[in-house]
Order: sequence, then structure tokens, then C-alpha cells
Amino acid sequence: MTAVPARSSEWVRPVTSKDPASKIIEIDRVSQVFQTSTRRDHVALSDISLTIEERAFVSILGPSGCGKSTLLYIVGGFVSPTSGAAKMKGQAITGPGPDRGPVFQEFALFPWKTVLGNVMYGPRQQGVRATEAEAQSRALIEMVGLKGFENFYPKELSGGMKQRVALARTLAYHPEVLLMDEPFGALDAHTRTRLQNDLLNIWERDRKTVLFVTHSVDEAVFLSDKVVMMSKSPGRIREVIDIDLPRPRRRNELLLDPRYQKYVVDIERMFDESDESGAAL
Amino acid sequence: MMSPAALTRRAAPVLACIGLLAVWQVASLALKNDSFPTAIEAIRAIPDILGDKESLINILASLRRMALGFGVAVLVSIPLGLLMGRSRGVAAFFNPLLMVIYPVPKAALMPIIMLWLGVGDITKTLVIFLGVSLPVIYHSFEGAKAVEEKMLWSGAAMGLSPTHRLVRIVLPAALPEILTGCRTGLVLALITMITSEMIARQAGAGNILFNALDMGQYDTVFAMIIVVGAMGICLDAIFERVRARLVRWSEPQFDMPLSFS
Repeated sequence: MTAVPARSSEWVRPVTSKDPASKIIEIDRVSQVFQTSTRRDHVALSDISLTIEERAFVSILGPSGCGKSTLLYIVGGFVSPTSGAAKMKGQAITGPGPDRGPVFQEFALFPWKTVLGNVMYGPRQQGVRATEAEAQSRALIEMVGLKGFENFYPKELSGGMKQRVALARTLAYHPEVLLMDEPFGALDAHTRTRLQNDLLNIWERDRKTVLFVTHSVDEAVFLSDKVVMMSKSPGRIREVIDIDLPRPRRRNELLLDPRYQKYVVDIERMFDESDESGAAL
Repeated sequence: MMSPAALTRRAAPVLACIGLLAVWQVASLALKNDSFPTAIEAIRAIPDILGDKESLINILASLRRMALGFGVAVLVSIPLGLLMGRSRGVAAFFNPLLMVIYPVPKAALMPIIMLWLGVGDITKTLVIFLGVSLPVIYHSFEGAKAVEEKMLWSGAAMGLSPTHRLVRIVLPAALPEILTGCRTGLVLALITMITSEMIARQAGAGNILFNALDMGQYDTVFAMIIVVGAMGICLDAIFERVRARLVRWSEPQFDMPLSFS
């Protein structure tokens, strides 16, 4: 990894590479139809095609019910699409695997395990020796800011702390892609901001590919290289916007940056328009 | 030095027992009924029972059957309940069967089972097994059903196979609920143990009780009731200790999140 320049403005990373070899996830004409008890089937996703470049931070932004989480679950292999296919490095995704690590809004920690036990779980499952897994896990716990809480049970932790553990637990088994499903959606505003900052710091160190589902415009613009805007009923991709802002990003600088403000305002306007056109139908 | 609150908490069960015995004593003296001995008479008869080798053998035989019935029931019911909780097909198959068996008093099946298997240990153990199974299956089922899907997904992403997920995620996650079922099962094991011995009168703690009843030895009858009650309390206390250890992570005293993001 190259050294991070002292001043962020000196370093503008190319947002996407044109090299086709760097594609990591390809979503090809994916549709998802849920059978409902009422007359009509619910079309959660309609004909979605999307390519994610390696080491990019991509947000999927959309109103609730637009199927953005479903799309993430399809990439995770937790849900099979009704039609179409998703590929990871050219291989069709048929189920979950340690190359794609999820972080859920609900944290989904193992409550019977301590913080350390949770973080060690993945590496142990992969056959890493206990002493080694423990050393790595302790380092990760420190990285997410929970040093001293190794022997606490999830029940003893606040929501923000739980999500830190969940992030460390997923990072521990070195997935190539992080799948984040509204990870900060259940947190209060202050905690959410802190976790966004910390996630960005952690991510800017090793730049894993991240697919990040959110319904917050600020969050998407602040974190991402690319924002995929979705509309609902049926869930479609409305627009893909490259966020051309320098990294490493600092919140206090970014909030004052007119380019950041323009992205936020533009995206919000697009949402309002789609709401109106939706209402007119 | 214990705090007054802790002292009260410790003393409360003892006080309750003494209160119960006192009420019994007074009621018995007031009623003056031959078939209702006083608490003191009943307590005096306890050493006779526990000092008698044959009675002890009987009681131990009862406990052995109970342990066997309970143990086998738990070993069979937990996996079945967990499978039902995670597979709609398995649940759809077993649920109606259990619905039919649940309301039937297991002791009512005794005469039929006796016809098939005789009056020996197998019949009684089987009845205990049936009595324990249903609450354990039911609670394991509910516990497994309530396991968060995302927790299983997290495990799947780490590479856990479906079987591993059942054993290493569903089982521990459902453990508090499963143990609630086991606790109910333990009490039911004691009840079915006594009733089975009441119906198949041959040996056991229930046999001592009902023989004494036939012979009009009411102090022995009540002494046995105390003994059975004490056994229940002891078993429950032991079980509760084990349970608390196993599911310490889910206990309410841990329910105070730290205020730190």
C-alpha cells in the first residue's frame, strides 16, 4: 500500500478503473419476485445489471422497499434470484462464502460468545490456529476501538459497540468483498457519524471492495466512490453516480466542500423527482 | 456481611417452608382426622423410610428410571425440536402428531403400554420419556424458530455447513429456551415417575407411598410426600445451577448496555 499523502487534496484516486480485469462482482439482469398472499406477486428487483470494480466503495441508495437489501443478499448468496445471475470474479454465486463478508443492521452477533469469541469465530472456522486467531482478533478489536472489551458479552454492549464487533468479526476472516446492509441504520445520529468516520479510516487503510446499502444520501456520498440510485416498485437502477471527491476524506473538510454539497443536493433532488413522478402514476 | 435485602432473599424460601408446615400442623390439629397426621408426625416418619434399606433401594430405582427417561428424552427431543424449528417440512410432519399426543395424560397410556411391554422398568421409563419429551420438543422448536436468520447467514458466510449451523449456531442460540423446556421436563419426570409407580405397583417411591396408603399408615404417606417434594426441590435447584452457568450470557443482569458508542 502506498503512503497516504499528508494533504488529502494532493491525492485524487481514479474512481473506477477501465481495466476489465478489475471487475469483481457482476450482476447480470437479476430479477427477484416474491410471492405474496395477496393477488399480485411483488417484484422486488426488476432486471438489474451492475458491475462492481475491485477495491471500490459502492453504495446502493434507495427508498425503503426498493429491494436494495435483496440485491445485497443475492450477492451474498443468501437469496437466489428469480432470474438472472450474479458473479463473483467470473464465478456464478450459488451460496454464501467467506469471500463475501456480510455486516447486518441487526448486528447478528453470537450472543453466547464474548467479543473475542465472536471475532475469532470466522478464523477458527477457516482452520487458523487458536493462538494465531486470537492474536489477529485482538488486533482487530483494538482497531475498531474496543480494546478492553474482549471478554464482554454482546448483551453488555451498546448498539454502536455491537456493530463495531460485527465489523471486526467479518474483517477477521478476510473477505474480499464487504457486504454492508444498512449497518448504521439502527444507531442514533451521533453514533452513526462516529462509525462512519471510523469505517472510512479502516477502509482507507486496505480498501476492500465494499457494497454498502443505505437510505441516507449524506452517508452514501460521504463514504462512496460510486452511488447506485434505485427506485422502487419495481426496484430498478435509476442512476449510477461517480463521487469524485478526494480521499482520505474528513467529515469536517467535506461538509464545507461545495462539490460534496452539490452531490447531496443533486441526489436529493433526483429522489424528489422520482417521488413526484411516482405520485403522478 | 450480607445486606438486609440479600438476607431476606436467602431466608424467604426457608420461611415459606416453615410457614407451610405450621399451617399444616394447625390444620391437622383442628381437623382431628385420622387420615391427616400432623406435620410433626409426618416428619418423624421420614427417618424410618430413609433408614430402611428396602425403601432406599426403591427410591433409588425410581430415580434411576427417572434419570434414564429424562436423559433419553432430552437426547431425542432437542435434535427433533431444533430440526422442526429450522425445517418447515419436518415441522409440518411432526406438529400434528405432537398436537395429538400433547393433551393426553401420559399416565393414561400406561395400561396400554403395560399390555405391550409388561409392568417392568421399560414401561415406566417409557412413560417418563413421553412425559419429558413434549415440553422439551416444544421449547426446542420455539427456540430454534426464533433464531435470527442473519445470525445463520453470518455463520454460512464463514463457511459453516447446514449441519454445523444447526449444532454450532441454532443449538447455542436456542439454549435458554431449550433449558426452560428441560426444567419443565424435569418436574414432569418426577410426576410421571410417581404416577407410573402408582399404576404399575411393583417397586419405587410411588409404591411405598401407595402401599402405606392401602395400609392406613398415613404418617408414612405424608412423609413420602415430603420426601418426593424435597427431591423435586433438590433436583430443580441443581438444574437451576447448571442452567444459570450454561446461559450466563443471556441473563438479565447483563441487560445493562454500557453507554459508549
